[in-house]
Amino acid sequence: MKLVLVGLNHRTAPIEVRERLNFPEDRIPEALSRLKNDFGCEEALILSTCNRVEVLGRPQDGCLRADRFKDFLYDFHNLQAPCLEPYLYTFSERETVHHVFRVASSLDSMVVGEPQILGQLKRAYSLATKARTSGLLINSLMHRAFNVAKRVRTETRISSSAVSISYVAVELAKKILGELTSRSILIIGAGKMSELAVKSLMKSGISRVFVTNRTPAKAEELAAKFGGTPLPFAEMFSCLAQVDIAIVSTSADGYVLHKPEMQQLIRRRKYRPLFLIDIAVPRNVDPAVNDIEEIFLYDIDDMQAVIHANMEERRREAESAEAIVAEEVEAYVRRTASRQTGSLVAELRRRLEEICLTELEKNRNAFSAKEYERVERMLRTTAHRLAHPFILHLKNLDGDPRQYEHEVELIKKMFQIKEKE
Amino acid sequence: MSGLLFNLATSTYAIGLISSAIFFIYRKKPFFRVALIAISVGFGIHTAFLIQRGIATGQCPLVDLRDSLAFFAWTVSLCFFISYVRYRVQALGLFLLPMIAVLMLGTFLVRSSPIPEVLRSHWMYFHVLCLALAYGMFFVTFVAGLLYLFQERELKSKKPQTFYYRLPSLDLLDNLFYKFLISGFVFMTLGLLAGMIWAEQKWTDWHTDAKVIAALLTWCIYLTLIFLRMSAGWRGKRAAVINVAGFLSVIITFLSASVLGGFHKF
Repeated sequence: MKLVLVGLNHRTAPIEVRERLNFPEDRIPEALSRLKNDFGCEEALILSTCNRVEVLGRPQDGCLRADRFKDFLYDFHNLQAPCLEPYLYTFSERETVHHVFRVASSLDSMVVGEPQILGQLKRAYSLATKARTSGLLINSLMHRAFNVAKRVRTETRISSSAVSISYVAVELAKKILGELTSRSILIIGAGKMSELAVKSLMKSGISRVFVTNRTPAKAEELAAKFGGTPLPFAEMFSCLAQVDIAIVSTSADGYVLHKPEMQQLIRRRKYRPLFLIDIAVPRNVDPAVNDIEEIFLYDIDDMQAVIHANMEERRREAESAEAIVAEEVEAYVRRTASRQTGSLVAELRRRLEEICLTELEKNRNAFSAKEYERVERMLRTTAHRLAHPFILHLKNLDGDPRQYEHEVELIKKMFQIKEKE
Repeated sequence: MSGLLFNLATSTYAIGLISSAIFFIYRKKPFFRVALIAISVGFGIHTAFLIQRGIATGQCPLVDLRDSLAFFAWTVSLCFFISYVRYRVQALGLFLLPMIAVLMLGTFLVRSSPIPEVLRSHWMYFHVLCLALAYGMFFVTFVAGLLYLFQERELKSKKPQTFYYRLPSLDLLDNLFYKFLISGFVFMTLGLLAGMIWAEQKWTDWHTDAKVIAALLTWCIYLTLIFLRMSAGWRGKRAAVINVAGFLSVIITFLSASVLGGFHKF
């Protein structure tokens, strides 16, 4: 593992710094090729979103220092050398893997569990592939990271609970009404907030929309926007008796809906549940309406409370997600290490055979053809036997990856094995 | 009631109960899978047990109280599958399995007093079969009504906690409640009719039997519940009292003869 990552995110840097360092998508290919040609990176990937800027790559000749990436950042954005120092973080080897897995699984996001980051990472990877700056290491790391993200998403509920007002509205509607297809909604008033909520509700399958307003023209305007039916304000109650959801956000100063009339309404509805959303400030629906059976009244603060509870829920889920990530990092590092051992074993055997066979070649004339063949076989076996203690030693070196790297380097040096890759 | 198959089914249900509980608390999918497999295997073994007993005794295995307890447990288990296949309610297992466990263990506690040979007839088997199915369904109705109350309370309180995240929507619970209520009622009616025809043939003074009266009372309670639901839309809290009364009445009916005497023991 010789991957290094330098970057900053919403926790380490304020927005001013993040936007200063942002890479517009159309300039990323250029940036990648400069990293490769001018800054000696054999592999490189740039992830740039509004919450993070990260450069991942493999510096040439196995150098593990991140200085080159930093130089590149200063150079590309025309900044003076140490000014970014307090904001940047640097990861190498195992930490890089851990960080990339966490980012892909949306554990490092501002809103934990938000789904966009995976798409952004996939995009960054495809840009790197197009620019031909992704090689063996980045390819294998990215594919694993996508898998880890998928695993986290399916095995935990990190992104299943709603954390915005409009999605909380959808979530609550589903908890009350089940499937939303073929359900209907009445919009009373024309507040901006209600539009957002209606849009997300419609995305979840709500088919019929009714709009009513004290000013008929406004009702018609809004109805046209959602493909709904405008209704005169006087018909509000007869419509309320039919629909499954109602969103209230008028500019009235007092209550538009009171308890007695709503009590009558629910009897008229035969106690069919009604989800009532009061987005107006000041509130438009008497809070006492919530005491009526089968009417579920939520105002802005109530929805905020649900968001809060859902955030807690996500945090709890994040703990199991972190455990999955840790497990995956362990497995990944172990796999790459054993791959490395595998290739080193082959190299070492080849090298030892080479030494033995060169000696044999020098004395070729001393043997008959039959004898030569036998001695050659003998020497090959000897070479493998000689390699064995080294292999055993590396295999028993479970644990500290740094020490492992170190000893691999040592063996390579001792036997003059050159790195391929 | 001994037998390897029966004990095996009981233990498998126990595994199902434990993993359902773990699933309910931690909501880790593998536990639900384990629970589902355990209940399926338990159900399979249970069915095999009933068949084996039927073959061994050479007749429908419904001739004493133990038989009917075991069969009642089987219908509850069957209802779990029907509701899972139809509605995918994962949380239901935790609430149905304790009942299955009680019924299965109950068979170890009661004495066997088989019904006299002379009274057996096809009407009797049909009577017991229908009523066991009806009681199983009423139990699901009872549980669905209860879960509706839990979910409703949490939605009203606006503080999502345990049930909000674990239970299905109110609409689904209500659907479950209603469908099982109606089917249970249909089976109960059929069972009672069969019982009356049977009694008319073999038994003279059945009108004054405690269990018959209790059963008719139960039937009336459920009829009221259905009527109020259909005409006035009673559900949730309003229906809860009648629902609880109905199921208590089922239990009383089931146990009445054993407590009050009489040979109509199951």
